[in-house]
Amino acid sequence: MATPPVPELLKTHLTKLAESDERLDGRGRFEGRDVIVETGVLARAEGSARVQMGDTIVLAGVKFQIMTPYPDRPTSGGFMTSAEVRPVCGVHWEAGPPSPEAIELGRVVDRGIRESGCIDMEDLCILPGEKAWQVILDVFALSDDGNLFDAFATAAMAALRTAIIPGERFDVGEDRPLPVSKTPMMCSYHRVGGRFVYDALRREEIGGGERIHITLGDDNHVHSLQKGLKGAFTAAEFDEIMEHARSRCAELRDLVNN
Amino acid sequence: MGGYGDVQMIDENGIRVDGRTAGEIRPVSINAGIIPVADGSAEVIWGTNHVIAAVYGPMEAHPRKIQKQDRAVLDVRYNMAPFSTTDRIRPGFNRRSREISKVTAEALESVVLTELYPRSKIRVEIEVITAEAGTRCAGITAASVALADAGIPMTDMVISVASGKINGVVVCDLNKEEDNYGEADLPMGVCANSGELVFLQMDGDLSPEEFQIAWDYNMEAIAPVHEMMIDALKRSNGGDE
Repeated sequence: MATPPVPELLKTHLTKLAESDERLDGRGRFEGRDVIVETGVLARAEGSARVQMGDTIVLAGVKFQIMTPYPDRPTSGGFMTSAEVRPVCGVHWEAGPPSPEAIELGRVVDRGIRESGCIDMEDLCILPGEKAWQVILDVFALSDDGNLFDAFATAAMAALRTAIIPGERFDVGEDRPLPVSKTPMMCSYHRVGGRFVYDALRREEIGGGERIHITLGDDNHVHSLQKGLKGAFTAAEFDEIMEHARSRCAELRDLVNN
Repeated sequence: MGGYGDVQMIDENGIRVDGRTAGEIRPVSINAGIIPVADGSAEVIWGTNHVIAAVYGPMEAHPRKIQKQDRAVLDVRYNMAPFSTTDRIRPGFNRRSREISKVTAEALESVVLTELYPRSKIRVEIEVITAEAGTRCAGITAASVALADAGIPMTDMVISVASGKINGVVVCDLNKEEDNYGEADLPMGVCANSGELVFLQMDGDLSPEEFQIAWDYNMEAIAPVHEMMIDALKRSNGGDE
């Protein structure tokens, strides 16, 4: 992604708004945009979802391949996440090999899902030491108006929850739903105008500072954290964010599970 | 081209596997303005194909060496999403997508008034979300609508359709099953108003007579799709103008 020159005017404007605790689109500090989740949107994927949050739109597709298990874990399948942030989704994203930002997006989404243990890797084993399913999750940005992290993470879980293992097509048993035991959810916060806000717009990201991503499991266990970009935050700030994340992740989880 | 003559894809009444007649195209729907952050955008759902196009610009062309002193450059990218096919596609450019990007750019350059924007660049991003044979045609059609949606001046709109041959019979707009056993493929990009061609490819085996039928089928499909494009633009831009 080309780093846009930060317009000082935008930064000043955001700081002014922050003084009266306002945001560009009138939302409160910890108010998220409406989230619309649709599943079964991709005809060629074994599980899929489309998530829209304001003008941010993303897709997630789950595909399966047969892999040889790793020698140290002969009875385990595999899980891989790949984030595609192609130039279709915004003027600021450029063509070429995946940028560090896109790689970070994919890896942070991957960690939250993997570490929650929501996918039983042993269940993906077909023949110990020889054959196992590899779950490949591709998240794809269609329109980036900020907070691709949460949009990707939400779409990812919705797609995984509807995925069908294509046993028949690969001639290894019957088709069956991918067992997903938990629904880890991500909430992201950006420093805008001096304080942290939830679910930043693209313009808030451009004119803002560091960001924090939190993934929480069903039981509020923490499964992944990531601090991005330059900046420093206090323990008190983190506590405030974490408290909000606990309630918001539960809301998002309900949305995905129903 | 597969050329498996023993698989019956057309019955004795000339009805194809999905119930279409020889000259019939798949169901098509077109929407414009589907990507809020883009300057122009469109989606074409053509059978099971789902292709999205976004347009950004005109904008400054950089690096400078790609600038043209007398016109804008069209920076076109055709890409298939990893989940667009039965077997996952590894992300990244390949020879096929590069060639399709190139011929698509040249087709669109023939209708966009690039000389109005010297030294600038217009980005056209074509993303295949779901593929079912004929994605390059759907991509060109989607890109035309997206360019118009972005307000880029054009002399004409390009509609692209392919005809081919199965079981020795010429048919219009092959679907995936037919394409697997297809004996020829003739994709064309036609300007809606002038009737001129700006995109043409072919592979396979067609006799002079068969070639003429395939050509005519493509030409007949242009007008109805053009109607849908105009309708999509009217809907997204809220009005009849």
